[in-house]
Amino acid sequence: MSRFNVLLLLVLLGCSVYLVRVSYDARRLFTELDRARSEERLLDSEHERLKAEKQAQATPLRVEKTARDKLAMRTATPAVTQYVMFARGASAAEGRTP
Amino acid sequence: MSRPNPSPKAKRGATSVRSVRYSTSPLLASRTPPWRSKFLVALVGASFCVLLGRAAYVQIVGSAFFLKQGEIRYGRTLDLPASRGRILDRSGLILASSVPAPSIWAIPKDLEGDKAQRAQLARLLGMTPAELAGRLDDNPNFVWLRRQIEEPVAKEVLALGIKGIHQVREYKRKYPEGEAAAHVVGFTNVEDRGQEGIELAFQKDLAGRDGARRVIKDRLGRVVEDVGDSVAPIDGRDIELAVDSKVQFFAYQRIRDAVAEHKAKAGSVVVLDAQTGEVLALSNFPSYAPSERKNLSGAQLRNRALTDTFEPGSTMKPFIAGWAMESGRVTPNTIIQTSPGRMTLTGSTITDSHPHGDLTVSQVIQKSSNVGAVRMAMTFQPREMWELYSAVGFGQKPQLGFPGAVTGRLRPYKTWRPIEQATMSYGYGLSASLFQIAHAYTVFAHDGELIPVTMTKNPGVAPGTPVSGVRVLSPQTAQAVREMLHLATSAGGTAPKAQVMGYTVGGKSGTAYKQEGKGYAQKKYRAWFVGMAPIKNPRIIVAVMVDEPSAGKYYGGDVAAPVFSQVVQQTLRMMNVQPDLDVKPQIVAREIPAEVESF
Repeated sequence: MSRFNVLLLLVLLGCSVYLVRVSYDARRLFTELDRARSEERLLDSEHERLKAEKQAQATPLRVEKTARDKLAMRTATPAVTQYVMFARGASAAEGRTP
Repeated sequence: MSRPNPSPKAKRGATSVRSVRYSTSPLLASRTPPWRSKFLVALVGASFCVLLGRAAYVQIVGSAFFLKQGEIRYGRTLDLPASRGRILDRSGLILASSVPAPSIWAIPKDLEGDKAQRAQLARLLGMTPAELAGRLDDNPNFVWLRRQIEEPVAKEVLALGIKGIHQVREYKRKYPEGEAAAHVVGFTNVEDRGQEGIELAFQKDLAGRDGARRVIKDRLGRVVEDVGDSVAPIDGRDIELAVDSKVQFFAYQRIRDAVAEHKAKAGSVVVLDAQTGEVLALSNFPSYAPSERKNLSGAQLRNRALTDTFEPGSTMKPFIAGWAMESGRVTPNTIIQTSPGRMTLTGSTITDSHPHGDLTVSQVIQKSSNVGAVRMAMTFQPREMWELYSAVGFGQKPQLGFPGAVTGRLRPYKTWRPIEQATMSYGYGLSASLFQIAHAYTVFAHDGELIPVTMTKNPGVAPGTPVSGVRVLSPQTAQAVREMLHLATSAGGTAPKAQVMGYTVGGKSGTAYKQEGKGYAQKKYRAWFVGMAPIKNPRIIVAVMVDEPSAGKYYGGDVAAPVFSQVVQQTLRMMNVQPDLDVKPQIVAREIPAEVESF
């Protein structure tokens, strides 16, 4: 009987040590998770900033200036635009062909 | 001197003490009183009882108190800031967005760092060392050194490693479109609250709600556990505007150029979608960069298209002609006698710029004859005319949900004298904003219905779906008025400069002396033009106003109509509207005979 008790005691000790280990791990992992989350937030806001920055670099003002100055382009007018129309019958016929 | 040997006697004595065995010790023989041991047992027992009692008290009775105390020592509440929603244009381009901008603060009493470090800190923060020292003297416990700086600068500040300097993560708004969209978008203050424009109008939706989280931190400040419930932050909603940033930019650019060309004080452009009532552009000049708000003046901040009211002048005449036709009093070809170019009503004289003789109703609008308009209007009851003007939105605040939109002035008809009714027929004696005039013109553009206007994109409605409004005129009358407006922009009209290559347009120009105090200022004018295109089936309404043009030209047809023309041209092109006028194409595609390929 006493041997069995000793065995139980050893099991208990083992469990206790394991518990300490597991709770330590849990905290460590939680800290890591938390760090990862805050990094995610940081990257998100950085992404947002870069998107805004990207657009600030491509505002109509800047695009027009660059197109005019660097590429010597000019604004299109109806005189230099060719308007292509889909004939109603043509698009219907197109729909029928496989 | 030599050391003496220990005496044999002493040696013997020591031997005798050691020789007494423990079990035969005489001390053991003496009996101790039994109460002593009992007392000790009781004492130890009582101590244990005290410990048990204390443990029970800590664990059971006072547990709440101790738990709380414990938590105060290692628990922390973290704020989870909600990010402010973005403002987007109709195609999803960003008009306003929050970006991180750290703020630097200091605890001056903890501050270390030598002179060189402080000088470098001051340089990074954009201050002189003296200014920095002054700032640090303000409060020994906490001072903001600089709020919302660029992130790279904040990193450099941190790299200096001065003790007592801290930073906190804050957000600042970025406005990629800058001054072109400033009056629509508005701006926020340093606390991220909307102050103007859409930022103010939709503050509630944009702001969201901050969350909070209760955590346990360890010795190194790392979060090791969540305690209790955390409240997740609710991010602000993105606001999608109906504004098209390309149209907005173009309108801004044109009005800016026109203001410069005519040495004017200011100018505004409003572009409305004639089918859906969406505001495609709302530009004013002078404007400001919403992110750089130092030295702002009231003139720059004013959203003139919505807040400045003026007498709408000749732009009111089409409403009179429309109602006269609607009520069956005239047809477009009814002759109205306007010679000799002036008429007298209760002692006051109304004049035309020059006598026109007999004019049809269409020509009255085309030539913008005051006398012709008055002759039609004097057949109306005052109440009838008041109802017409109110029905198209004059004297009423535009239902736009935009801060600062004004009501304008339309006096109750009971107080009208005949001369006032006469002057009101050609737009004097009442006032309206440019936006109100543009809105009123939806009656003509949308086949007789006044449609509601909106700054935001309606998520429930597919883009481009026409909306229905309140009927004021019949479709036939609206069409007839559109024809008249078209005549006004043709040869013989007041604004041929409004013509657009490839598209039919129609519109009405207006010019007026500016009101100053109780009278009119001499040589201070306001010129405007309101019109639509293409005239058969209008897609857009464009209203242009130029304030105090002073470079010689001041007629609406000369100053505002060209801006209208350019804006219409660009906007219709961007909306992929096919030209309804033949344009002599400059694209040359020659038929070249192909070489026969050998095979």
